[in-house]
Amino acid sequence: MFAYMIRIAVLSLRRNPVLSTLLIAAIALGVAVSTAFVTVYYVYSGNPIPTKSDRLFYVQMDSWNPDRPYARSRPEMPPEQITYRDMQGIMTSDIATYQSGMFVASLTIHPPEEEQRPYRERVRMCFADFFPMFEVPFTYGGGWGRDSDRGPEPVVVIDAATNDRLFGGGNSVGKTVRIEDRQFTVAGVLAPWRPSPRFYDTHTGASQVPEGFYMPFEFVREFEVETAGNLLIWSDYDETGGFEEFLASEAIWIQMWVQLDTAEQRQTYSDFLDAYVMEQKNLGRFGRPLNNRLLDVMEWFKDQEVVPEEATGLLVLSLLFLLVCAVNLIGILLGKFLTRAPEVGVRRALGASRASVFLQHIVECELVGVVGGLFGLGLSALFLRLINRLLDNSGQFGLDLPMISAGIGLALVAGLVAGLYPAWRICRLAPAIHLKLQ
Amino acid sequence: MELGPIFRALMHNPTRFWLITVEVALTLAIVVNCVAIILEQRELLTRPSGLDEPNLVVLTTRPFTDEFAEDGFIDTVREEDLRRLRALPGVRTAAAIDYLPLAGGGGLTGLAAPDDEGDGHPAPYFVVGLGAINTLGVELVAGRDHIEADLRPGDSEPENLIVTQALADRLYPDGDALGKSVVDPDTREVFGQIIGIIREMHNAWPRSSIAGLAMLRPGPVYDERELRYMVRTEPGALDAVFNQLEPTVLAVNADRIVTVRSLADYKRKYFDDEAVLVKVLTVLAILLIGVTSLGIIGLTSFSVTQRTREIGTRRALGATRSAVLRYFVIEIWVITGIGLALGAILTYALNYALAHLAGAPSIDWPLIAAGIVLLWGIGLLSALAPAFRATLVPPVVTTRSV
Repeated sequence: MFAYMIRIAVLSLRRNPVLSTLLIAAIALGVAVSTAFVTVYYVYSGNPIPTKSDRLFYVQMDSWNPDRPYARSRPEMPPEQITYRDMQGIMTSDIATYQSGMFVASLTIHPPEEEQRPYRERVRMCFADFFPMFEVPFTYGGGWGRDSDRGPEPVVVIDAATNDRLFGGGNSVGKTVRIEDRQFTVAGVLAPWRPSPRFYDTHTGASQVPEGFYMPFEFVREFEVETAGNLLIWSDYDETGGFEEFLASEAIWIQMWVQLDTAEQRQTYSDFLDAYVMEQKNLGRFGRPLNNRLLDVMEWFKDQEVVPEEATGLLVLSLLFLLVCAVNLIGILLGKFLTRAPEVGVRRALGASRASVFLQHIVECELVGVVGGLFGLGLSALFLRLINRLLDNSGQFGLDLPMISAGIGLALVAGLVAGLYPAWRICRLAPAIHLKLQ
Repeated sequence: MELGPIFRALMHNPTRFWLITVEVALTLAIVVNCVAIILEQRELLTRPSGLDEPNLVVLTTRPFTDEFAEDGFIDTVREEDLRRLRALPGVRTAAAIDYLPLAGGGGLTGLAAPDDEGDGHPAPYFVVGLGAINTLGVELVAGRDHIEADLRPGDSEPENLIVTQALADRLYPDGDALGKSVVDPDTREVFGQIIGIIREMHNAWPRSSIAGLAMLRPGPVYDERELRYMVRTEPGALDAVFNQLEPTVLAVNADRIVTVRSLADYKRKYFDDEAVLVKVLTVLAILLIGVTSLGIIGLTSFSVTQRTREIGTRRALGATRSAVLRYFVIEIWVITGIGLALGAILTYALNYALAHLAGAPSIDWPLIAAGIVLLWGIGLLSALAPAFRATLVPPVVTTRSV
């Protein structure tokens, strides 16, 4: 029965190809625009590490100025980053399954090929746990061991693009590259990795691409490198004291992540943080009330308002656009169906029930919806590529299976919205009138 | 006027009336909200920064040898860099600077007048070498530019600051900022003294509400990791000069990474999201108007076809062609009019929702009025072709096929 209905629907659509093209184009356009912005919203609001986003926690401690809150508009919020000394203090704990302080630096890379000039590149300075904690995928080798954090040993992890640029691709584990004035040995080469939003550092842009290099955090001392991200400070320190004074200062510039697998672990870690801060209070630091926070990935996104307002606005506008396209279709379908009234009259007279006439026309609308939806998805993919190019974001937006389903879903809903009223009208026509006319 | 019959005829078959009404109302709401956002973003993109934007190029050099850390070496290199850059044909002037205006990253401190007990005001700053005012192309309206002696003040001397008028007015609302000192709002220690005021200059965050607050601090711009110069070219000479900049400084010392980018390029990158948003919304609005216009054409054509016999009867009873045309034009005018009236309400409702969800700008009535005029015109234009077709219906049609 269903197959028959589809066959009738195809015949009906083929009878007037111009009109059918118009119908399909309208749905396609609406689906293209709305799917594109549903995708943009989905990417911004998505969970970049669904397997463990509720076990990864961002650590915050209120080490800010005793006289005033960190953010005047949100006085309850502790600072968004922590100091170097506090990172060192809490990294001594072994409660968390994995833990890593981190920041982004900009360092000079000297390619092994002599003819290539040195260049600057963003380097993530982090601890060994960064890789297993964030499930970073490797093509060759892997992260470095915890032993290499102490010392630190000159090992480095590079991404695929960097591997191509420096070594012409291939397994480069064990090869060396000069960074600043030190030779580093490649420990691992990443497989393509594009967490979106880039959850581990929302500060320097959640839409950013991960860094090309990863090296042990403690090279911060050797290179005396300052963050290429945000650094905020509320109290002066003795700048003549050199880099050590800076590291001991109240400047906040480090992001701290921990993996806590169980509720008990979380509680223990939270107690540890409290104890750490109370101890620091005794030393005359942390003049503000005790205010530690452990937010998991999605909570942290919400707190940081990672979804740009523009994405929400465009989502609303594009769905309304689809609605207008559907309303448009109502008129066209109504015209199309009503011109077919005599035919329907015959069918009804021959015993077709209202329900089957109704269903027949809904099937026809949904067929238009599905075909339009497929074209729309194609258009949508092109549209997203254009947006990617305009934003220069290395292909952040793209259609995946959930979004393709969403696009088809939108097309079906649009087809239904457009078809319900015309199908209802046509099935309620009295058959006799049209029979008489013939 | 035939409003009465037109309206009764409409109500006789209200489907088309409601469809066009709803469509026009939705379209008005969406288009006006799109345009409001576009206008707001364009205002951000195009507002004057006070800088000579089209003629500024940024040259960033990052040394990678140790000799730059040696005493005095970097000063020698910087002086030589600047001497050669300024001597290039097509270059008007050049100056050292630490961070960049319009590029989204830089220094920020708090400042207050000494007798202001409050939390102070944000003072985004740039550390600049000599000649910065001339190079940036900003206009000094009071006081003086930095001189050699300002670069290395003695221990007890305050830093000599040049601030924008907007920052000066925040610190000293009575307009007497020149020559006054400013303090750190936390420690209450003297930070510096205002020696010059520039009319207008955007800081590193031109998107923000404090874009106009900026301060120039004199300094040797001393960092062995990075030496950066702002180069101002003669009008129109930027492209010609651009490629000569890197070789010029590499000739002084080649042990560094050099990047050359126009300030306009940094600004473009900073405003990427806004620019894309403007493009996307423009496309959305145009597509929507197109779709709605097609919808009106379709519905009116259908209505003309349906009423062929009716029209023929009217013609047979003596109605002129222009009367038929007038009938359809007035009809569409009435329908879109009602749709637009509903649309005006819907526009405010959507605006309210968007303001909540997405921080959209609120809409002024002139914008809605403009939207109404536009869509009314488009509605009429869309209906014209089918209406003309109606006038071609011959009276004889009445006699056929019954």
